[in-house]
Amino acid sequence: MLEAYIQSYNEAVFETDKQAALEVVNKALSEGLTPEDVVFKLVIPAVEAMMARIESDPDSNLAQHFMTAQIAADVTERMLEKFSQPPEVIGRVVIGAAHGDLHSLGKRIVIGCLKSLMVDVIDLGTNVSAIKFVDAAIEEDAQVIAVSAMMVHTATGEHGSMEIRQLLRERGLEDKIKLAVGGAPYRFDPELYAKVGADAWAPDGVTAAKVIVQLIREVKKHDAA
Amino acid sequence: MTPLEILAAATNGTPAPRIPIFCNLLDQGPGELGMHAKDFFSQGEHVAEAQLRLLKRYGYDNVWSLHYVGKDAELLGCKDILFADDGAPNVADFVIKSLDDIAKLEIPTDITQHPAWQPVADCLAILRAEVGATHPICAYLTASTTLPAMLMGMEKWMELFLQGPFDVRDELLRKCSDFFQQQIAALRAAGANVLVYSSPFGSPYFVGKNQIQKTVLPWMQRDLQPGGVDGVVYYCGMAPFNDVIDLVFDELKITTHYISPLADLAEAKRLINTRGLTCGVIDDIKMIHWSEEQTRAEVKRIIDIGKPGGHFLFGTGVMPLALPEANIRAMLAAAFEYGRLP
Repeated sequence: MLEAYIQSYNEAVFETDKQAALEVVNKALSEGLTPEDVVFKLVIPAVEAMMARIESDPDSNLAQHFMTAQIAADVTERMLEKFSQPPEVIGRVVIGAAHGDLHSLGKRIVIGCLKSLMVDVIDLGTNVSAIKFVDAAIEEDAQVIAVSAMMVHTATGEHGSMEIRQLLRERGLEDKIKLAVGGAPYRFDPELYAKVGADAWAPDGVTAAKVIVQLIREVKKHDAA
Repeated sequence: MTPLEILAAATNGTPAPRIPIFCNLLDQGPGELGMHAKDFFSQGEHVAEAQLRLLKRYGYDNVWSLHYVGKDAELLGCKDILFADDGAPNVADFVIKSLDDIAKLEIPTDITQHPAWQPVADCLAILRAEVGATHPICAYLTASTTLPAMLMGMEKWMELFLQGPFDVRDELLRKCSDFFQQQIAALRAAGANVLVYSSPFGSPYFVGKNQIQKTVLPWMQRDLQPGGVDGVVYYCGMAPFNDVIDLVFDELKITTHYISPLADLAEAKRLINTRGLTCGVIDDIKMIHWSEEQTRAEVKRIIDIGKPGGHFLFGTGVMPLALPEANIRAMLAAAFEYGRLP
């Protein structure tokens, strides 16, 4: 039965049909799945399935990424209200668009996926200064700073990721806070992330969530050692 | 032959000494005149002067009338553009803040009377007078299915596009298409003859092919129908679109295709063949960090794929300000060298 739900839900997400996805969730709940089951056995596997699908099929499209994130975030938010006890959060991220950048779509996809994967997300908005990213990460005890940049000058500019890296270095935080980047310029030059001082990058918002979760685990492993 | 004649020869498949070589140095304009971006873009004379100076210095084939993409939003009421001295301006004020604003959005009855149009008109008048007889003049046009991203933000537009309410979405698309029809006619009348039709939603990288056929294509047809597709270049904002090349030929009749550096250029050339003009585009974001030798090698690779059989143009992508001048020169020298025709 669960397999059938997963298949129907994934098909709906892949067809960018939010209504159909929500109908699967409602049916699953009415037939006995708990809200916890819906999140952990349906939504999270669906996000992971989309991640796998993107890896094997680079032609998956932006609309699918957007709907994956939006449906996952919506369902997770609704289910969390019904959880018998708050779920364990796996880590915390501060996210925003780079200094000078007002684009927010990529960031929203990443946030949606991260929330469904039980990552606490602090959204700093768009046109965020380097100092604000770093101060917020310290204040919120975040393991990752995630910076979205859709234009070449906001990806490579001196007040973007490069300044964040410099601040992390100056404050001795490079092992405690990792820096992830994403956005169109990085797709055109997959080596660009390293040139701007980031620890990792992702070619799309869904994969970015996976990359960020890996970075959170690295930081936590380092802290535990 | 003049660059205009070379472009015509490549399009028609007639003899020419070389392939056309197009370059878009837009971010470089303010620095060329030693001005801040906001001051630079306040007058069309500045944009035209920078284009003419850069054309003279580098000797490629085209000039641009584009100020910045957000100009369209200004023509529709946007009051705030975030200018940057190291890159392209951003729209900082969305005209549509809630779905209720869509009903209130008014398309000017004549955009050429709008104050934001004047710099574009002034720029085109200068370019036309100075090089219009010899060089292609490029203009940038945002498709009706993409313009809403500048009016309400891509995030909200994607939501409305995919989830509706669809009557509201279609009302916005109709208004944007009405604007487009006016704009393309005005640009043509002012002297632009290479009309880059920017339609990212016409790329399977943005939405599925079914969605393109069902929703995007009819609006693209509506955009282009009144004035036809003469001089129109299909471009998806640097996103790949090989999977819809046949569709674009069959349904839109556009024959010039500006291929993404992320796409398989050889496949695109095979698909287009002699039916139209294939534009092979260099990845000028990677070029920021390439050596001159790497730049030359990539130009050679692109031209080796595209030149056989003719009907080919070499072009650039976004040409960011961070590009070293040595690489711009290396790229163009290689394009002229490898682009020679027997």
